[in-house]
Amino acid sequence: MKKTLFTCGILAAFAATPAVAQETLQTVRDRGILNCQVGLPTPGFYQLADDGMWSGMDVDMCRAVSAAIFGDPDQVEYQSVTSAVRFTSLANAESDMLSRTTTWTAVRDTQLGLDFTAINFYDGQGFMVPADTGITSALELDGATICVLTGTTTELNLADYFRANGMSFTPVTNENVNVLVETYLGGGCDAYTNDKSGLAARRSAFPDPSAHVFLPETVSKEPLGPVVRQGDDAWANLVRWTIYGLMNAEELGVTSENVQEMTGSADPNIARLLGSEGNIGEELGVSPTFMVDAIAAVGNYGEIYERHVGADTAIGIPREGTLNALWTEGGLIYAPPFR
Amino acid sequence: MAQQTQVFVPQPDRPPPPDTSGPLAWIRRNLFRDIPNTLMTFVGAYIIFTVVTAIVNWALIDAVWQAETRRECLDAVGRAGACWPGVAAWFENLIYGLYPKDQVWRINLGFLALVVWMVPLWLPKVASKIAIGLSAVMLYPFLASYFFLGGEKGIIWTALIAAGLAGLIWVWATALTEMRTGKPVGTWLVARLGQADTDEILQRRIKQGAALALFAMAFLMVTQISFEEVRTRFWGGLFLTLVISGIGITFSLPAGILLALGRRSKMPVISTLCTLFIELFRSVPLITILFMFNTMLPLFMPAGTEVNQLVRAIVAVCLFAAAYMAEVIRGGLQAIPSGQYEAAKSLGMNYWQTTSQVVLPQALKIMIPTIVGNFIGLFKDTTLVSIIGLFDLMNMARAVGEDTDWLGLFIEPFFVVTLIYFVFCFAMSSYSINLEKKLAAGRDRT
Repeated sequence: MKKTLFTCGILAAFAATPAVAQETLQTVRDRGILNCQVGLPTPGFYQLADDGMWSGMDVDMCRAVSAAIFGDPDQVEYQSVTSAVRFTSLANAESDMLSRTTTWTAVRDTQLGLDFTAINFYDGQGFMVPADTGITSALELDGATICVLTGTTTELNLADYFRANGMSFTPVTNENVNVLVETYLGGGCDAYTNDKSGLAARRSAFPDPSAHVFLPETVSKEPLGPVVRQGDDAWANLVRWTIYGLMNAEELGVTSENVQEMTGSADPNIARLLGSEGNIGEELGVSPTFMVDAIAAVGNYGEIYERHVGADTAIGIPREGTLNALWTEGGLIYAPPFR
Repeated sequence: MAQQTQVFVPQPDRPPPPDTSGPLAWIRRNLFRDIPNTLMTFVGAYIIFTVVTAIVNWALIDAVWQAETRRECLDAVGRAGACWPGVAAWFENLIYGLYPKDQVWRINLGFLALVVWMVPLWLPKVASKIAIGLSAVMLYPFLASYFFLGGEKGIIWTALIAAGLAGLIWVWATALTEMRTGKPVGTWLVARLGQADTDEILQRRIKQGAALALFAMAFLMVTQISFEEVRTRFWGGLFLTLVISGIGITFSLPAGILLALGRRSKMPVISTLCTLFIELFRSVPLITILFMFNTMLPLFMPAGTEVNQLVRAIVAVCLFAAAYMAEVIRGGLQAIPSGQYEAAKSLGMNYWQTTSQVVLPQALKIMIPTIVGNFIGLFKDTTLVSIIGLFDLMNMARAVGEDTDWLGLFIEPFFVVTLIYFVFCFAMSSYSINLEKKLAAGRDRT
C-alpha cells in the first residue's frame, strides 16, 4: 500500500510537469522576474561589465520581453550557463528563455524540445588571416594550420568545407577563445576561424587590427535567435512578437526617442504596433502598449544593433550590405506585419 | 683505600677544518663540486635568470599601470607588458563576484566573524578548544549564511541564526573567563553568583538558564537586523570559491571518518553501503558528478521544486570529497597496529571509546599530510564549477577578457588568480606542517 502511494506520488509529480510548463507567462508574472539564460560573457551579444551589469544584443532581447511583461526592462535575472548545458537548463525550467547566439538547426528544433522564436542575428563562419600572407580566398588555405574552437559546430563546419573542396588542413584546437587568439597571434596557426561576428570582436582587440584580414567566404549559415521551451505556444508568441515588434519599429521609424510621440501617429501600422489600435497586446497576454514599453527601454532593432555590435562599437561590424540590414536595404531582417 | 672515581669529561668539539664550513664551503660543496656539477649550476642559473627577468619585465617594468581600456595598453607597449588597470577594474569582481557593491561589507563581516570565532583556538590558557572548534563548525555556518544570503528569514532560520550569534558570544565569553580565571564561563557564572558549593542540579539549572537567556537575547537581536536578499546567482569570485571549498572541507572530514569506519565495520549492510558509496563516487570524475547533479537532478524532482544551482554544486563537491577523504582516513586506520585495539579492549573500552580515544587520534595524526593534501586538491578542484556556469574565481578571470573595454585581456587576470591560489594553498600547506610539528613534539619516532 505504502509502495503504491509512493509510485502514485512519483507519477503525479511527472504528470504535473507539463501543466506547470504551459503557464510560463503566469509563472514569470508571479515570480516578478524573467529568468533569461545567456552564455559565458561574449562581446556584443551578452557581455558582463566590471560593474556586474549585463548588456548586448541578446541581453536586450530579454530586456525587451521584460519591458513587454512588466513595463520595466530590469526585472530580469541573467543566468550565465555554458553551452554544454544550455538546453537542459532551459528544459528544466531554470530559465524562461534562452537568448545566447544559438544557431537554429533542424535537429535542435525537432529533437530537443525547443522552439526557436525569431532570428535576431544572421551570422556565418569565416576565416581571418594575417594580411601580410597575401591570402585572399579560403580556397588558398589548402594544407594550412587552422585555429578552431573545439566542441562547437565551428569545428564540424570547417571539416565539411575543406572536405567539400578537396583540401586538407591541420586543426589547432582549444576550448578557450583567448588561448586560440594568443596562439594565432603568436604564429601558431595560419588562419583563425570562427563566426564572423566573433572574428570581428577578437580582431578589434589585436595590437594592430589592420594587420589581419577576413576572407570573403562564409562557410556556414548561423541564424541566431532566442529559444523557448516547446509546448507553451503563448509564451513563444510573446517572445517572437516582441522581437518582431522591435524590427517593425525600425521599419516604421519608431525609435526609443520618438516612441511617445508616435503613439498618436495617424499611420495605422504604427498605431497597431504601439497599441493605440487593435488588441495584439491583449491577445498575447500583456498590456496593449507593450511595444511602447519595450521600444522605450531598448530602442528598435537598428538601435540595438548599433549600440552593441555596430560600426561605432568596439566590435564594429558595419550593418550596411550585410544580412542583418533591413529587407528594404537588401538584408534579411524582415518581420511579419503587426496586424 | 678509597677507590678513585673516574668521571668522563667530554672534550669540547674541535672546530671543523677551515675549508669545510661557512657559506663559501657550502657553495663549493653543493654548486661547484666537479665539472658536471658546475655546468649544471650555470645552466640552472641561466634558466632562472631568463625566466625571472622575463616575468619581472612583463609584470613590472614594461607593464602599464594607468589606462582606461586595453587599447590604450596595446598602443603604449603592445603585448610586451602587462596591462594591470583591467585587472584593477575587475579586482573587486574577482574577489566578491557580482555581489552588489554596497553589500560587500556583509561578506567581509561574515569572514571576520569566522576569524574572531577561531582566534581563541590560538590563545594560551583557553581550555575548551574542542568545544570552540566544534561550535565553529556547527554554528558558524548559520550565522554566515544570513550574512551572505540575507532576505526573509522564517522563525526556524531566525532561531538558527540566533544560535550562531549566541555561539559566537559564548566562545568569547568562555575564552575570556578561561584566560582570566581558568574556568569556563558557566562555572565562572555559578561562582560569581555565590553558588559554587550548592548541589550540581542547581548549578546545571543556572547554566541552562544563562544559556537560554543568551539565546533569547541573540534571538531578539537577530529579529532586529534585516539584510537585503542577495541571491546566490550573484555570488562569485574568490568568495564563492571559499564558500564551496569551505563547506566541502568541513563536511568531508567528519563524513569521511564515518564512511571509513563504516567500510571497516563488521556489520555487512553498513560496510556494503559505505563501500558502494565510496567506490561509486571515487570511480567517477568530479566533472561528471557536477554535470549529473546540475542537469539530471532537476529532472527527477517534482515540478516546481527549485533546487538552487549553487546548492547542487556544493552537494556534489561534498559527496565527492567525502568519498576521497574516507579512503584517506581508512589508510590511517590500517596503519594503527592491532595491538592498540587489543590494548583498548583489554581496558574494557567499547567500540566508540576505542575509536574516538585511541585509534582516531593516532590515525588522523599520521594522515595529516594526506588530509591537508586532499583539502588543497579540493580547493583547486572547485574551479570545475565554472563549467556549470558558476562564476567562481576562474570563471571571473575569464570574464575579464570578454569585457569590451578589456577584450582579450587574458594572461593578466589568470596571473593574479594564480597568485591568489598560491597564497591560499601555501598557507594551508604551511599550517599542516606546523600542525604536524606541534603534534609530533616529544614523541617523534624518528
